[in-house]
Amino acid sequence: MKYLVLGFLGAVLLKCWLDQRLNLLLHSNFHSLVLIAGLVLLMIAIAGFCSAKVSNKATKIWPLIVLSLTAMGLWIWPPKPSLSTLAANRSGAQLGQSELSFLSPPEQRSLTDWVRLLNSQPDPNLYGGDPVQVSGFVLDVPGKPPEIARLLVRCCLADATPVGLAVRWPKTKSSNGWPKPDQWLQIKGVMAVENHQGSLRSVLVAKQIKAIAAPTRPLEP
Amino acid sequence: MAQIATVWAVFQGLLLEALPFLLIGVAISSLARAFDPSGHWLQKLPKGALLGPLSGALLGFALPACECGNVPVARRLLAVGAPLGTAFGFLFAAPVLNPVVLLSTWAAFPDKPWLLLLRPAGSVVIALVLSGLLQLISESKLLNSELLAERRLSQPLAAVSLLERSTGLIGQPLAALTTDLKSSVQNKPAGLLSHGVDEFLELGSLLVLGCAVAALIQTLIPRDLFLALGQAPTLSVVSLMLLALVVSVCSSVDAFLALGFADQVTPGALLAFLLLGPVIDLKSVSLLGRVFTWRAMGLVLAGVSLTVLLIGQALNLLLL
Repeated sequence: MKYLVLGFLGAVLLKCWLDQRLNLLLHSNFHSLVLIAGLVLLMIAIAGFCSAKVSNKATKIWPLIVLSLTAMGLWIWPPKPSLSTLAANRSGAQLGQSELSFLSPPEQRSLTDWVRLLNSQPDPNLYGGDPVQVSGFVLDVPGKPPEIARLLVRCCLADATPVGLAVRWPKTKSSNGWPKPDQWLQIKGVMAVENHQGSLRSVLVAKQIKAIAAPTRPLEP
Repeated sequence: MAQIATVWAVFQGLLLEALPFLLIGVAISSLARAFDPSGHWLQKLPKGALLGPLSGALLGFALPACECGNVPVARRLLAVGAPLGTAFGFLFAAPVLNPVVLLSTWAAFPDKPWLLLLRPAGSVVIALVLSGLLQLISESKLLNSELLAERRLSQPLAAVSLLERSTGLIGQPLAALTTDLKSSVQNKPAGLLSHGVDEFLELGSLLVLGCAVAALIQTLIPRDLFLALGQAPTLSVVSLMLLALVVSVCSSVDAFLALGFADQVTPGALLAFLLLGPVIDLKSVSLLGRVFTWRAMGLVLAGVSLTVLLIGQALNLLLL
């Protein structure tokens, strides 16, 4: 029985690796570890079945139940986190100046590049009028217009921290014209300067908004 | 509904990241069982209040594992009768005193050389304090009952009586009393495999519970709550200690996580975060339950909290 549970757990780890869910859960450094662990567990399970005659003590039943239920859950219920809910609980990442080693032209900068740049050289007047083309998910900010954001992950989803850009959304006839949280968007626009709570800050003036599918790798290192 | 889905995803992330490390730890533990089944060599590791924990801590360089992986190794050290101080030194300091963690700390904070020095030094201090503290109570009140029984069987009769071994009648052949230990050795590799699988399943199920609690608390409690007191000298240390308990991130990458809020908190709080997490967090607390009694767990938590608080405070006094 225990080798069956072990083999099932190994198969689940392999499935997690195959179905790309690791892109949503872990930093890429850990993906191969999950694959290797799954293969090793499967091999151990096969080896255990071949030598199952040796059973020198009774295996406790509760670990088998807990791990079987967990493995079944992982198999049938893939992760579908609300990135906005996750990010709302966490303060934005403070990206150090040392992380900015190369500066691309404005229209080629990713959202994370922009946030890094704004953190390292915060004078908003430097970027006024720069063309911007970024993609990210809509991050709900209570009492304020939503931001366009990405999640940075060093280890796994547990340590994910959001980085976001303030957006001036186009006015529409609907109630507020703001997109729904968690929606993935590609935004084209220009960087502008606005007065925010008594100080100047950079804001992305959205001119063209396109709904896109969530990328295969939604987390950024 | 969005919160439940998020808790489930965070749980999966924590578990899938930790399981490979647990597997590595159990593999090392099983190899130790294979190559030194009676613990002959491991029992000869240095003893003493200073040398024991120090040598245990330095084992981290030979067996680099994070806090999930080193619990099974520390259990094996204790089970084969290795000196308590050495096993505790390994358990509490090796998750920091290993090349992977030191390199990641350096990579995350190249501009803070004091952190690269104080993190391992602080870990050694914690290992010394906890080791000294835990050895104030008897082994029977310190170690988990199953682990204690296995340890008793490995210890020489000169060190532990038959009564303490709970072996029943005097004169009963030792071989009959140590069925599990002996058979796992004699039936290599099948016995070793069976024992290793049992250990992995048991610790894995405890890891599942730890990850579930950590995911639940992480998603429901705003992280800003912990960072709000970032610049208060004492409260910042306390709040970052609480954050380390909750976040439950592997010690090999926690420095990168700390990088995200390093500028918002005091230096002492930053160091406290990097020192406490590798010793105990919500994810690993259930694993430690397979090593210690609940009373000893309380002592570990109190001891490490106080030591880390004092280290963090001292650093704040020096640098602020």
